Amino acid sequence: MSSAATSADISLAPEHGSGTKRIWKTFWLLSVLTVIELGIGLTIYNIHKGANPNPTLVLAFKGMVCILTLAKAYYIVSIFMHLGDEIRNMIMTIVVPLCLFIWFITAFLWDGNSWKILRNTNAGSRPAQTEQHQPAAIEKGEKP
Amino acid sequence: MSSVATLHGADVHGAHDTHHEHHHHETFITKYVFSQDHKMIAKQFLVTGMIWAIIGGLFSVIFRLQLGYPDSTFPWLEDFLGHWAKGGKLQPEFYYALVTMHGTILVFFVLTAGLSGTFANFLIPLQVGARDMASPFLNMLSYWFFFIASVIMFSSLFVQTGPASGGWTIYPPLSALGDASSGSKIGMDLWLVSMAMFIVSALLGGLNYITTILNMRTKGMSMTRLPLTVWALFFTAVLGVLSFPVLLSGAILLLFDRNLGTSFYLSDIVIAGKILPNEGGSAILFQHLFWFLGHPEVYIILLPAMGMSSEILSVNSRKPIFGYMAMVGSLFAIAILAFLVWAHHMFVTGLNPFLGSFFVLLTLLIAVPSAIKVFNWLTTLWRGNIRFTPGMLFAIGFVSLFISGGLTGIFLGNSALDLHLHDTYFVVAHFHIVMGVASFFGMFAGVYHWFPKMFGRYLNNTMAYIHFWVTIIGAYLIFWPMHYEGLAGMPRRYYEFSNWESFKMFGGLNEFISLVAMIVFAVQLLFVFNFFYSMFKGRKVTTTNPWGSNTLEWTTPINPGHGNWVGEIPEVHRGAYDYAKDGHEFIPQNVPVGADETSH
Amino acid sequence: MSTTAIPTNTKWWNGGRSPFNASYGKVMMWYFLMSDAFTFGAFLISYGTIRFSVNNWADPNHVFNAFPFAGHANLPLAFVSLMTFILIFSSVTMVLAVHEGHKMNRKGVEKYMILTIFGGLAFLSCQAWEWTHLLTGEHVALLKDGTLSILPTTVKSNPWGLEVAHDAMLAALQKTPHDQLASIAATLHHGGEAVVHDVKTMSDAELISLIQSSDLHVSNPGPIAFGGYFFGITGFHGFHVFSGVIINIVMLAKTKLGHFDQRGHYEMIEKAGLYWHFVDLVWVFVFLCFYLI
Repeated sequence: MSSAATSADISLAPEHGSGTKRIWKTFWLLSVLTVIELGIGLTIYNIHKGANPNPTLVLAFKGMVCILTLAKAYYIVSIFMHLGDEIRNMIMTIVVPLCLFIWFITAFLWDGNSWKILRNTNAGSRPAQTEQHQPAAIEKGEKP
Repeated sequence: MSSVATLHGADVHGAHDTHHEHHHHETFITKYVFSQDHKMIAKQFLVTGMIWAIIGGLFSVIFRLQLGYPDSTFPWLEDFLGHWAKGGKLQPEFYYALVTMHGTILVFFVLTAGLSGTFANFLIPLQVGARDMASPFLNMLSYWFFFIASVIMFSSLFVQTGPASGGWTIYPPLSALGDASSGSKIGMDLWLVSMAMFIVSALLGGLNYITTILNMRTKGMSMTRLPLTVWALFFTAVLGVLSFPVLLSGAILLLFDRNLGTSFYLSDIVIAGKILPNEGGSAILFQHLFWFLGHPEVYIILLPAMGMSSEILSVNSRKPIFGYMAMVGSLFAIAILAFLVWAHHMFVTGLNPFLGSFFVLLTLLIAVPSAIKVFNWLTTLWRGNIRFTPGMLFAIGFVSLFISGGLTGIFLGNSALDLHLHDTYFVVAHFHIVMGVASFFGMFAGVYHWFPKMFGRYLNNTMAYIHFWVTIIGAYLIFWPMHYEGLAGMPRRYYEFSNWESFKMFGGLNEFISLVAMIVFAVQLLFVFNFFYSMFKGRKVTTTNPWGSNTLEWTTPINPGHGNWVGEIPEVHRGAYDYAKDGHEFIPQNVPVGADETSH
Repeated sequence: MSTTAIPTNTKWWNGGRSPFNASYGKVMMWYFLMSDAFTFGAFLISYGTIRFSVNNWADPNHVFNAFPFAGHANLPLAFVSLMTFILIFSSVTMVLAVHEGHKMNRKGVEKYMILTIFGGLAFLSCQAWEWTHLLTGEHVALLKDGTLSILPTTVKSNPWGLEVAHDAMLAALQKTPHDQLASIAATLHHGGEAVVHDVKTMSDAELISLIQSSDLHVSNPGPIAFGGYFFGITGFHGFHVFSGVIINIVMLAKTKLGHFDQRGHYEMIEKAGLYWHFVDLVWVFVFLCFYLI
């Protein structure tokens, strides 16, 4: 079976120039991105240490780190894993399913945030006394 | 019948002569046990799945006894179940265990492994024109991981405290706390370990199916020439590969909660006046993770049945499938939507209602591709030259069940209605019809249609017709009344209803349902008998292409060996649905396009 | 049941050109990684969901501020950036090994595989140190019973909650029993056996003044789920690194034995490389989720 694996049916992708040059370039790029991330991380740390941390500013910095991380992921996948050199159809079969993460993340975090609101208000687990007298009383009685 | 049908007859006569030409020596072990031949692995999946189906079906008969005859005792049950049926009365703990195992077995072990394991293995290489899967070895491992999962799950039936009993969805905290019920003890751990093995099996299989379809097609077999079975099995595999890992994550976290004292799913739990130290987790998180698999799982079960029905409907109405590209497109749309709608199982959990409304919208969108499929099936049948083979009957039955079950899905997909209907018998009726029985019908259709290819013999037709008519009438008689019970508010998963005045009126109906369920179960045993009887004693197949079908599996010899084709793999020149074209009844895919033909 | 078989010399596949211009093994590895991405994705998204659902979460700059042999110096992000660079560097050596494989240069492959394995082991050692540091714990927390105690970071508890006000801390000190005071004092003055022996004999009042003399920070117990997710996810990632190292060692052995030269291509190195880069890729996200934000 292994004879089917590689043969004349597959032509190796042409090497790009001197090859290693591209790899080292990517390495420096990743390093620089990581250093910027660390810089932002320390900035967030210092904002938190300050008297009045500005939540919007922190959020903006965190968003920037997320974007930088995505950029790093792009370079690792595209250059190190050579996905960028594959046929477009193959790239699509891998990238398109990953788009499911958008809704996966959105819905989960959205609901997580809504649990926090429920937790802080007790709106979810215990009905307000005034609206539903009877059930509330029963539920209280059951609670040990 | 045109001359093309006999083009490949020549192979048949050579079959016996080439027997000694095996390129490697095959013993009983390598041929029937640790086989790497996709056809043998498919049969292994099928037989294991059938054994599980009998066990799972038997469980439903036992708990239907309790629901139908809550006041009677059955002394023979005690001989059979021991202390779980003291005095012939099913114990509540074991009732829950039975319900849980019935769901687990049928959803995962029968309709996932047994259905797509069988037909993906059997049909993909044959229909795309490959000698075997991309990696036959991993394919074999896929079956054996399924076997290990089966053994673990089966052994959990015999542990002292009973098998898992928190429902097939194993929601925490019931499943996370060992003391919550007798089934939450070792039975639950075995369930989780078994599922982990099962997920490994599903992933190995799925990766192989996807890779084979993408990479191993024969010359000329472009993606748009693939039979719809292959398309459906392809999307099934994609769904499995992307969603099973999420259940794996969820199950691992649950194992940690059970055994290492973590708090992923636990918070604010009070048991017998004692507050547990677990804090900060959320039981709903597990539901999110579970249903991120759970909803695609529904389509993992359903899509193979859709694909096989499409193929069988087209072959047996001697007409091309109506709207091939629309069929593929709707499969694709269903596959994508399957990932976006999971929280519609959770409308009553305290899900953010605004978020819920998005899930309502996305859920109702599924109706569009589903309707496209239904209309295309019906228009395929329209004015066709229909042959009512058993396979065809089951395919038509599938369409019928898919329509009736799908319609109630529109009710349940609305969060406002779901608040009332959630966890009632309405839901039970809905998913049993649309995903349980419908998928079973797809599976039966597939078995009846491809049995000649699998074993070189036909199934007995008389038994097949009895099987079909009793099953379809029985299925409707069982599940149709459940809709009314559900609308009246009768909750599912209850051990008995005699304490509620309002449900007393359903006593007779429940008895009726139980009676029909037993009859239907008995008829399935007739099918099993037919299966094994025909395997050895059935009428022999005399031509390579008994149904006059276009797809490539019928170009192989009657009992193909490992490698499928004796000579070269045929080259493909046309799509899979050239029926009733230019005066030919059917033109197989490997026939070159003639000069007089409208091109393809 | 009679069966036919194909002659030995028959070609196993004759589809012409490979649709993706890639072998089935590579395609399969890609889809396996895609599926594994969903496993990790589910873990990280669960973590995010729980984090969104509580009011306070552990501050990573506070939790991960230690460095080996640096004592109590406050060095946020330092150690983890070392780990990140180790992993990025081992990724580079891996891709260089693949590159040498394309050129059929066995010596080159061996050299870079050894470097990659070394990088993987270094990363695992770092992770072992970090886990040990957190599990042994040197932070003082205000327990639910109103006493102070050294609280390690485990899956069941951790000291990374909100800081306790000075007055509350003083009150708690008065309530804390002798043994706990002694262990706090010993940890704060992190001396050897002699100190431990000394504090045992001191009176409560002496211990309290000793503790107060040092810069004592006390926090509430943190969100319990933090420990579970941290150890669970970094552990799962570490397990991937570990299996990657094993795979790489097998590949190195096969290279040394000349298997790939016989086969005529170094594709196995390429597949192992895909796995290794994936491990690096996951770390990029673990780094983001646990250490940066």
